[in-house]
Amino acid sequence: MTGRLPFDEPRSGLAPRPAPGILPRAPRRVYTVSELTSSIRLLLESRYAEVWVEGEISNCRRWKTGHLYFTLKDGGAQIRAIMFRSALRYLRFDAEDGLQVVARGRLGVYEPKGEYQLVAEHLEPRGLGARQLAFDQLRRKLAEEGLFDAARKRALPALPRKIGVVTSLDGAALRDIIQVLGRRYPNAHLVVSAARVQGEGAALEIVRALQRLQRVEQIDVVIVGRGGGSMEDLWAFNDERVARAIVASPVPIIAAVGHESDYTITDFVADLRAPTPSAAAEMVVTRKEDMVDRVNRAVARLGTEIRRGIDRRRVRVQATASRPGLAGWPARVVLLSREAGELTHRLGDTMRAAVSRRERRAHALGLRLEALDLRRQLAEIRTRLTTARTRLVRRAGDVCTARTTQLAGLAGRLDALSPLGVLARGYAVCWNDTRTAIIRDSAGVTVGDAVHVTLHRGELECDVRKTE
Amino acid sequence: MTEPTITDFESALAELESLVKTLEDGQLTLEKSLELFERGIELSRYCHTRLEEAERRIEVVTERGETRPAPSSLTAREDE
Repeated sequence: MTGRLPFDEPRSGLAPRPAPGILPRAPRRVYTVSELTSSIRLLLESRYAEVWVEGEISNCRRWKTGHLYFTLKDGGAQIRAIMFRSALRYLRFDAEDGLQVVARGRLGVYEPKGEYQLVAEHLEPRGLGARQLAFDQLRRKLAEEGLFDAARKRALPALPRKIGVVTSLDGAALRDIIQVLGRRYPNAHLVVSAARVQGEGAALEIVRALQRLQRVEQIDVVIVGRGGGSMEDLWAFNDERVARAIVASPVPIIAAVGHESDYTITDFVADLRAPTPSAAAEMVVTRKEDMVDRVNRAVARLGTEIRRGIDRRRVRVQATASRPGLAGWPARVVLLSREAGELTHRLGDTMRAAVSRRERRAHALGLRLEALDLRRQLAEIRTRLTTARTRLVRRAGDVCTARTTQLAGLAGRLDALSPLGVLARGYAVCWNDTRTAIIRDSAGVTVGDAVHVTLHRGELECDVRKTE
Repeated sequence: MTEPTITDFESALAELESLVKTLEDGQLTLEKSLELFERGIELSRYCHTRLEEAERRIEVVTERGETRPAPSSLTAREDE
């Protein structure tokens, strides 16, 4: 409170302060308002041509003209302030309400309104450094725009046709990148877009280098960065223009600024962040090696799969072949044809045996009966033959056809051999008198012998009249 | 069936992998699986070519956006 007394006193104590020696002696000097204001202006502006003042920013507004109007205040007083656009340009952070700053400037008096204000040339945040503040502010701003969102981040291309690099041509970063790629990605195609990466104007050079790369075809990924240095050295990578150029890049960007522990705005806004330039190159390499692995794995699986498919089918074919009924087809065919052969044989034998049996029985029992019996049996045999043939054909297929035909032929021959058939066609059988032998030769017969002749129907008893 | 043309590495690899998966999962006819196999071979050949084809090159892009071979100081250093 005591600090206020010297100010309070003149106002409240104008009357009790007689200053007896002054008033009576000097002639009265009456100022015009303008004269007084002008005098105050001269006084203030010369006395406070350069002043440092600390306070909190409030009522901060930026006008269309680009000038910034605000108030600096502390617990007890406030002073109006203005910062012109020309000075504002050099400010690395945004002045905003609540910010504790040290302002450097001069006092100015605006005569028409009788107001004085601080014309700030520079502001410096209190507590945090200006850089840190600027960093925090830009970071917050870009985050609010969603530029750091994970959803925005693009994946590395599987196999970049060309790899863009934005860095200084003679820096360690480029050397490291080239070395890593040379070792592990021998056919990489690098396109370097040179930019100074520190000092005045570096940010703009980085922006332009990024834009230049956009004009080169087939660039699928870009590494932006530089080797380690002080935060001051890395400052260009905290520039909003650089951040926006990275956002605007049509291809994914890997940020590789400084060392592991250094974080810049570029790191936040890039699609990927590599702790160092070497690590950025390794990301690209690893991605490519992954692709090689994936291709190799797929090819191996393809081979395995097709072999397995064939094996599976082979097993199925074998399983089918060994199923009863189809088992060992070729062997079966051979077996069937052999069976058919045997059957044919047996049939032949049966026929022959039957014939001779019939011969004997015909002799013993009479041909008529025999003939009837034989017919029935022949019919049976034919049926059996047909059945056998059908079975043979069905079961043995083409291989058996020949045999079947043979069977059919044989049946025909049997028919021809049959006494019945022969007799029906008009042949006769001539027996000796005792019916014990068939006469085949006239030499065995003498004139006057009695012979028996068996016809298709009926028998004759004959005497031989002549032999020849 | 005419094979669709292969446009880029990534889609070729994706097609190859999904095709292998189809082969592994599916009960395909021999015909169809051989067809897939042939396509797979074609795709893998393409991928291998793309992985191996390029030559090592280091270029520098000029102010006008044209590319020039990098100064030998850069390429030489890397060989050491």
